[in-house]
Amino acid sequence: MNNENTKYIVPTVRMNERPEDYEFTFELPGIGKEEAELHVEGRTLTLKTHAAYQAPAGFKLVAQEFDRPNYAVSVDLPELCDLATVSGALENGLLKVNVKKRPETQPRKIAIA
Amino acid sequence: MSTLTELNPWNLLDTLLDTNNRVFRNVCNRAAGRFPPVNVYLDDNATIIDVELPGKTAKDVDLSLEAQAVVISDKPADTVDEHGKPSPAKPAWSRRVELPFRVDHDKANAKFINGILRIELPRADAVAAHRIKIA
Repeated sequence: MNNENTKYIVPTVRMNERPEDYEFTFELPGIGKEEAELHVEGRTLTLKTHAAYQAPAGFKLVAQEFDRPNYAVSVDLPELCDLATVSGALENGLLKVNVKKRPETQPRKIAIA
Repeated sequence: MSTLTELNPWNLLDTLLDTNNRVFRNVCNRAAGRFPPVNVYLDDNATIIDVELPGKTAKDVDLSLEAQAVVISDKPADTVDEHGKPSPAKPAWSRRVELPFRVDHDKANAKFINGILRIELPRADAVAAHRIKIA
């Protein structure tokens, strides 16, 4: 399926930082769970998809404003991330990847003796 | 792990152009108030319109059928004015697609598939010629 002629483009990505975690949102219209691969190697999060969108059979394309590409992108995760907590959910063409911050980086209350 | 692959300069150029097009498409969309891109397909009996709407569901989009056109717009959240009365909000975007034939409204349907809205609009049966008697 993949070879050097396969074209990949970078999807739109947004990152939100919250006190306890990071959330990355990738826009992947037309992509289902079976067509997306997510890997973590070191601190690098890699997303790769295989185009799944099918034009309706027997119809003639008369106006085209979007294509159905393969998406690929690599994101360097912040150092505060706990890499064991990476999780992803793909719904309605939006992939949300959540990574918690390491517990020792969280603010904590210090008891005064 | 690395693998040796044959370098194809045209592939690199394609990738660069794709990225360039996407960057400027987003800029243009923002300048125009951002509206979703559509693909339109046609055969003898129907037209199919695909609309790219990642993250949206049926409750976020309004569809209205005219005799020979379809209007797709976002469904704004309900708002209230300073007196607490419901206030109609304008949709953030709206697209109107003209169709080359009249649509059978009863058979039209639409569904979301992974962030793409597919609207199927069958052609209405041809209206039989109606003879008018001159008095």
